[in-house]
Amino acid sequence: MNEKSYRRYLNALIAGDQRQCQEIFEAWFAANPDLCHLYDGLVQRSLYEVGVLWERNQISVATEHLATAISEGLMNLIYPRLFKLPRVGKSAVVACSANEYHQIGGKMVADIFEANGWRGYFLGASTSPQELLGLIQGKCPDVVALSVAVHANLDAVLSLAETVRGAFADLPILVGGQAFLLGGRERAEQIAGVHYLASLAELEAWVIRHAG
Amino acid sequence: MQADAAEAALAYVMETAPVLALTLDAQLHVVAVNEMARSVLPEGTEGSLLAELVVDFSNSMDFTWLTAQRGSSHRLTIKTASGLPETYHFRFFPLAGGTLALGGMDFQEQALMHSEVLGLNRELNNLARSLHQANAELLELNQLKNQFLGMAAHDLRNPLGIIMIYDGFVLDGAGDTLSAEHRCYLEKIQTAARRMQQIIDDFLDVSMIESGNLRLELVPASVVEIVGDILPICQLAAEKKKVALLVDATNDRRRLPVDAPKLQQVLLNLVRNAVEYSLAGQRVWLSSQWDDRSLVFAVRDEGPGIAQEEQGRLFAAFGRANTRKTAKERSVGLGLAIAQKIVKAHGGRLWVESTPGAGAAFFAALPSKKLDEMLEGKCQ
Repeated sequence: MNEKSYRRYLNALIAGDQRQCQEIFEAWFAANPDLCHLYDGLVQRSLYEVGVLWERNQISVATEHLATAISEGLMNLIYPRLFKLPRVGKSAVVACSANEYHQIGGKMVADIFEANGWRGYFLGASTSPQELLGLIQGKCPDVVALSVAVHANLDAVLSLAETVRGAFADLPILVGGQAFLLGGRERAEQIAGVHYLASLAELEAWVIRHAG
Repeated sequence: MQADAAEAALAYVMETAPVLALTLDAQLHVVAVNEMARSVLPEGTEGSLLAELVVDFSNSMDFTWLTAQRGSSHRLTIKTASGLPETYHFRFFPLAGGTLALGGMDFQEQALMHSEVLGLNRELNNLARSLHQANAELLELNQLKNQFLGMAAHDLRNPLGIIMIYDGFVLDGAGDTLSAEHRCYLEKIQTAARRMQQIIDDFLDVSMIESGNLRLELVPASVVEIVGDILPICQLAAEKKKVALLVDATNDRRRLPVDAPKLQQVLLNLVRNAVEYSLAGQRVWLSSQWDDRSLVFAVRDEGPGIAQEEQGRLFAAFGRANTRKTAKERSVGLGLAIAQKIVKAHGGRLWVESTPGAGAAFFAALPSKKLDEMLEGKCQ
């Protein structure tokens, strides 16, 4: 898929044209059925751009919310295929910190695990430590991934990582998300067993490396 | 300049501002409305009374008093063109010969609703994801269950076969050396083992069907051939219960591509069920009939019948009716589930018609055209 189709998608997303977005989304995935490529090149890129437009007052907050809702709705279209892929017998629990309502990044992370044969359990937006610890206890995952989009929530996500570390000493923890674009990687990696991953592609490489 | 500014402000209110503006006459009729009010309020608002626009469940609002209040804001819910009432904060200002009503949106309520909608949308998307995930996990578990069932049933079959063979040797070869009591014990072992073999066969069938491994071997066969092979077994079962088995399916020689052994399994199951739910002296009918499109087998009985609410779950695995079999025969409730899968695999339909107290009738319809096409490999 080319730049022109990406631009058409972005324009449709800003215009709230769900149908056109779906056409491009499906064509993109049909041309290259690689989830990481789809999320990275279309969904994440367009939402980052929508975020910038909103910050510059070029679109309203309602338009930004609609764009997120459309993107999340499109991701649902992948699920009937995604969850039927062969399993490798590993699982991940993915969560956002408390008060982090931008959940789409976390959901993409959980889906990347699924696309590579892992089970990716996603807890949704604004996860309390109790909920997260409860799910880890119940699912006994091989890794926990914490996603944070808003820089102001960085402290909360690092505190969540410390809570997990306190309760499960050997469980690897991955962190990432848009918030780290403004720093925080060093602080995160000071916590034992915490790895920062800068992109979905890095995440996918990690997932493949640890599948065996 | 001040007059110009006031005029510009009024023009803004009337044309662009997100505020409802209504001018009212002395009797509180709506005289004129701004652009926003025109888009929000029901058509033909001009001329109606303010009271007719406001949702007043208690019918106790004093609009004359309300519009006379200056400087304070009143929360009013108004009727809208969409039919969905909306809440606005109104203030009333005196005009020559009337009142100007300005309604601002309840932004707190809007923000609350906005946040609620976003939250619900997030939740809905997460539920959709969880549902797909849970469904995939259930399918995996079901597959494991089928594998386990198939393996366990297969492994149980051999030792059971040995038990039955040696029990049979002793019964046949012991002659008079066995006491009546010991012969009775061995016969009970034989009966229980046969029953167990039936259950194991059902488990194997379910495991095979649910794994998607049910393969039909379609060969043209007539009703005479299909029914003829199972008739002695059906009659034996009926005689044991002193039930009269009436068969009207032995003269039909028209051929239809079917998997005869599997179809016989279906008919045998239906007849056995009918017999097991019948009392001595009652009748069971096995018949067949062609219509334009199908060959329809029917098995009817004069047993207790099946309540309407139980008919739906009869064909589910382990889904038995509450009705007791007349001789307390036991079953795990797989027979009808298997029968339905076999009939469906033939492209047909299995169903029941029954009135409690007036017996039951089971029908298996096999579509002739579709089966011809399946034989020719045109459809699966």
